[in-house]
Amino acid sequence: MIADGSSHSPVLQVENLDLSYGEYEVLSGVSFDVQDGSCLVVMGGSGCGKSTLLKSLVGLLEPSGGEVFFDSSNLWASSQEDREAILRGLGVLFQGGALWSSMNLLENVSLPLETYTELSDSEIAGIAEYKLGLVGLSGYEKFYPSQLSGGMKKRAGLARAMALDPQVLFFDEPSAGLDPLSSRRLDDLINELKESLGITFVVVSHELASIFEIADDSIFLDAKSKTLLQQGSPAWLLDNSEHDHVRSFLSRDSSS
Amino acid sequence: MSDKGSLIKKQGETTIRCVRFHREGDDCLCSLQGNWSLECDEVRFAYAEWKRFLSANPNVSSFRFSAVELGEWDSALIVFLNQCRHDLAELKKGFDTTGLPKGIARLLSLSTGKKAERQRSQFNLNRSIDYLETEIVRFSDRAKGVAAFFGEWISVFVLAIGGRSCMRMRDLFGVCRSCGASALPIVTLISFLTGLTMAFVGSVQLEKFNAKIYVADLVCLAMVREMGALMVAIVMAGRTGAAFAAELGSMKLNEEIDSLRTFGISPMQFLVLPRTIGLLLMIPLLTLYADMVGILGGLTVGTQVMDFSVLHYFEQTQTALGGMWEVYSGLVKSLVFGLIIGLVGCYKGLASGKDSASLGRSVTSAVVTSIMLIVVADALFEMTFSYLDLR
Repeated sequence: MIADGSSHSPVLQVENLDLSYGEYEVLSGVSFDVQDGSCLVVMGGSGCGKSTLLKSLVGLLEPSGGEVFFDSSNLWASSQEDREAILRGLGVLFQGGALWSSMNLLENVSLPLETYTELSDSEIAGIAEYKLGLVGLSGYEKFYPSQLSGGMKKRAGLARAMALDPQVLFFDEPSAGLDPLSSRRLDDLINELKESLGITFVVVSHELASIFEIADDSIFLDAKSKTLLQQGSPAWLLDNSEHDHVRSFLSRDSSS
Repeated sequence: MSDKGSLIKKQGETTIRCVRFHREGDDCLCSLQGNWSLECDEVRFAYAEWKRFLSANPNVSSFRFSAVELGEWDSALIVFLNQCRHDLAELKKGFDTTGLPKGIARLLSLSTGKKAERQRSQFNLNRSIDYLETEIVRFSDRAKGVAAFFGEWISVFVLAIGGRSCMRMRDLFGVCRSCGASALPIVTLISFLTGLTMAFVGSVQLEKFNAKIYVADLVCLAMVREMGALMVAIVMAGRTGAAFAAELGSMKLNEEIDSLRTFGISPMQFLVLPRTIGLLLMIPLLTLYADMVGILGGLTVGTQVMDFSVLHYFEQTQTALGGMWEVYSGLVKSLVFGLIIGLVGCYKGLASGKDSASLGRSVTSAVVTSIMLIVVADALFEMTFSYLDLR
């Protein structure tokens, strides 16, 4: 869990992944690696399959072909029980936070701990309060999701996603629906958690400011060819990509 | 507008409302006149008159539009010009907008787009067969989905009986409270009035045979055998079944179900099980309560309208019941009704799409399907009981 700055092995490997909804093909032949302790941003235009790819990486959508490995364990070839064990090592933060609306923040963060640990209620409450404190929500334990702003919901979702000390955290559109300052604060939080806890982040985003702020590495998905066009850091892709589409996306230049 | 109308009336034969035509050989200059607004009555007829002019002058090969006499305008003008352009393109005639202000020409070019061809569907046998095939596959998928849902529910129910479920007891108590105690007022009202109404209707008929006292038999047997369970089930389908579908549907809409799955927590165990078990526990109790309140409704009519004594009415009720089987049969029915309401409500909620319209459809469908299945199950019960000589 704790970063030592020396690990550079891939924690997530995706090989020739094909994704479809019934007959409709969304992506095909997607392959990439995510290094331990890094932040990979999945980018691309609207409708290119970013969120679909994320769903398949977190066990919600079975791919029509290809493999997903977490630390050499094949997610989709595993039995249901093994897959659930792999998924417990992951945390997911959905676009709107997806907090369980009938529970307060403390209960939201406590539920995974109650389900998977033998800890006492007071120990669980202590851990949940610590996680909420990490994301700057100390004092909001008894608040319900409906009483929070969009940015607070996302931070609470992040605390819940970190409840079981995941190795990899998936984040769907962190900046969506947030004002620039809240968005910036969330980016800073991601960077801080990455550096202090060594968590690997996979972030789906098309917000350029956020992408350049948090990404160590990135992949670019293309809606037209339904493939992964290129992998590399956003700054490198901006200067060196051979694809006009990637460069124009990163430079926000519609003329090229 | 009145000024506009009088202006038009002064023009010659080649003038339609809001447009004046000047023929120059094969060409025609169309001068747009006056105000073109969506609120303007004249504009509504402009397109029909343009079509008439077009068919009356088939030799004109090119139309040039000018806006020298144009007053104020809005989308009405652009829509009209777009329709003209479309007509002229179909007739392969010229459409010249160089005489129009830049703003109008720009809006016209922006509104140029491919028409959605897919919306203009014509009958095609292959397409119809494809559609039928898709519908059959969809139906079979839905049937498989229902079977899988019911199978999964049975397996997690067995796990819960064995104490191996992640269902939280506080959720179960919450459901018991909301679908049990909170439903008492409406169940009281409905059952009391049902008993009362049956007593009134029965008393009129039985009086003809001088058998008024049998109103106690009528009310008590109808309530415990049939009406208690049925009325409670219908109330619960509208109240609790709809609530289950709406709760789970909105959880799906907000990705709360997905986030449960990513933690490896089964929505079936965590959400469906406490709701169905809570309802299964509460509905027989509510039915028993409804039976008693219904009999009290009959008693009210018996004592206040028909002048029986309370003791006499109760003695007659006791005689009519004979044994407890009549009551038990109603309770058995209520358990099945409860299972139907709980499972249909939860299934419809989880099967809801990710938009608010679909959520509304799911809630409606949950209530309608539950009530339909309840009535069918009730009929099957009565036929079975009659066949087995249990009535």
